[in-house]
Amino acid sequence: MRNLWLLLQRHAFLLAFVALLGLSLSVLVRHDGSARSSWFALTGGASASLEAQRRQWSDYLQLAERNAALSEENAALRSRLLSLEMSGVWKADSSLGWRSRAGVLIKAPDGLPSTMALARLGAADSIHIGDGVLASGVAFGTVVDVGERYSRILPLLNTAGTWSCRIGRNGAVAPLRWDCRDPERFQLSDVPRYSTAQPGDTVYTSGFDLRFPEGIPVGTVQTTSQSGSDFQQVQVAPLLDFTSARHLEFLAPLGSAERDVLAQPLRTP
Amino acid sequence: MMVLRMVLLVVLHAMLLADVAPFGQWTRPQWALWALFMVPPQLGPFTKLLAGFGLGLALDIAMGTYGHHMVAGTVLGGFLPTLHQLLSPREGYEVTQRPNFRDLGANWVIVTTFIGALVFHLTLAVVDTWHAHLMIGALAPAVTSAAWTTACCLLLHLLAAPSRTRTT
Repeated sequence: MRNLWLLLQRHAFLLAFVALLGLSLSVLVRHDGSARSSWFALTGGASASLEAQRRQWSDYLQLAERNAALSEENAALRSRLLSLEMSGVWKADSSLGWRSRAGVLIKAPDGLPSTMALARLGAADSIHIGDGVLASGVAFGTVVDVGERYSRILPLLNTAGTWSCRIGRNGAVAPLRWDCRDPERFQLSDVPRYSTAQPGDTVYTSGFDLRFPEGIPVGTVQTTSQSGSDFQQVQVAPLLDFTSARHLEFLAPLGSAERDVLAQPLRTP
Repeated sequence: MMVLRMVLLVVLHAMLLADVAPFGQWTRPQWALWALFMVPPQLGPFTKLLAGFGLGLALDIAMGTYGHHMVAGTVLGGFLPTLHQLLSPREGYEVTQRPNFRDLGANWVIVTTFIGALVFHLTLAVVDTWHAHLMIGALAPAVTSAAWTTACCLLLHLLAAPSRTRTT
C-alpha cells in the first residue's frame, strides 16, 4: 500500500495532467457534435481493430477444436452422401439370380437374445418378408416384417433364427444359431463327424434357406467339439460387429414367384 | 495578481479582442495567453498546470466554446514546466525573477512565448478540426496564429514593462 502511495506521489503531476485532459476532452466530446462523431469513429475503429486482432488470436488458439468439429461435420456429410448414393434402385445380378438394394439401419441389435433390427426401407421400396440382408458384405439377417417405409430384420445375433451355412466353399452344411451367451460366438450344430473344420476356416451361407445366395461370408471357425457320436459342434466367430452396423444391402431373388411356388411342399393328388 | 491578470485578459479577449484578426484565420491571436506566460517559471508544475486548465476553462465560459480552450490550456499548462526547465539558465531561476525582458532577456521571452503559443494553437487546431484529412490544412494557420500571438504578447510585455527611472 505504501509503495502504491509512493508510486502515485512520484507520478502525481502526470496523473493530474491526464485527469484534467480527460475532463476537458469529456466536456468537448459532450458538447461538440463534430468532435463527438470523430471521437466515436476513432474509438470505434480502434475497438474494431482490437476485436479483429483478438478474434484472430482466438481463431488461432481454437484451431484444434475447429478442426475436430470440421472433421466430425465432414464425416457426417460423407455418411449422408453415402446414404444418398446408396438409396438408389435395385441392382440386378442375373448371373447369380439375385438383385440388391442399399438401405440404412436405424436400430441395430444390442446383443440381447430377442432384439430385432429396424431398417429404413419398406414395402414401398419393394422389400418383402424373407429378403436377406447384408452389412459390409457379410450376412446380417433376414426381413421378417415390412411396413410402408421401414422393415423389421431378424439378425443373426438373435436366438430365434437358424441359418443354413457351409464350412468353407465345399464343406459340410449345418444350421447356425446363437446361444445368447457370447455375442462374439455363434454355434454350428449337427456338423457331420467326418467334416474337417479347422480353426480359421471361413463359414459361408449355403443358400439352402433361400434367404441368401450361397457364398456370403458369415464368420470363421474358432473351435470344434464332439457332440454325440456322429456329430460335432463348431464355434464360429462372426465377421461382423452387429451392434455398430449401419449401411445394409437388401437381397431378393430374381424370379422369386416361380421359385417360391416350386419351393412349396409337393401336393400329391 | 496572477489571477486578476488572467481574468482581466480573458474578459478583454472574449469581449473585444477575439474578433481582431487582420488576415482572417491566419492571424487569430490569443491575447489571454500572455497571462499564462507571465506565470513565474520558478513556481511548481501543479500551479502551471492548474493555471493552464483554469485559463482554458475561463475562455470556454466567456466565449461559449465548450472544451476547446480547456484542452488546449491543459496541454499548454502541462507543457510549460518542461519548457521552463529546458530554457532555464545554467544556475536556475532566481526567486525574484519574472518572465519579462528585464529579468530573463528578450531571447528567453520570445522563444518561450512562441513555443508555448505554438503548442496552444496546434492543440486548438486539432480539437477544432478533429478529422485527420482537415488537419493538414489547419496546421499552417496555427503556426501563423502562434507567431501573431507571440507578437501580441511581446506588445503586452512592452506595454506592461516597468518604466525606468532616470538617475542623474
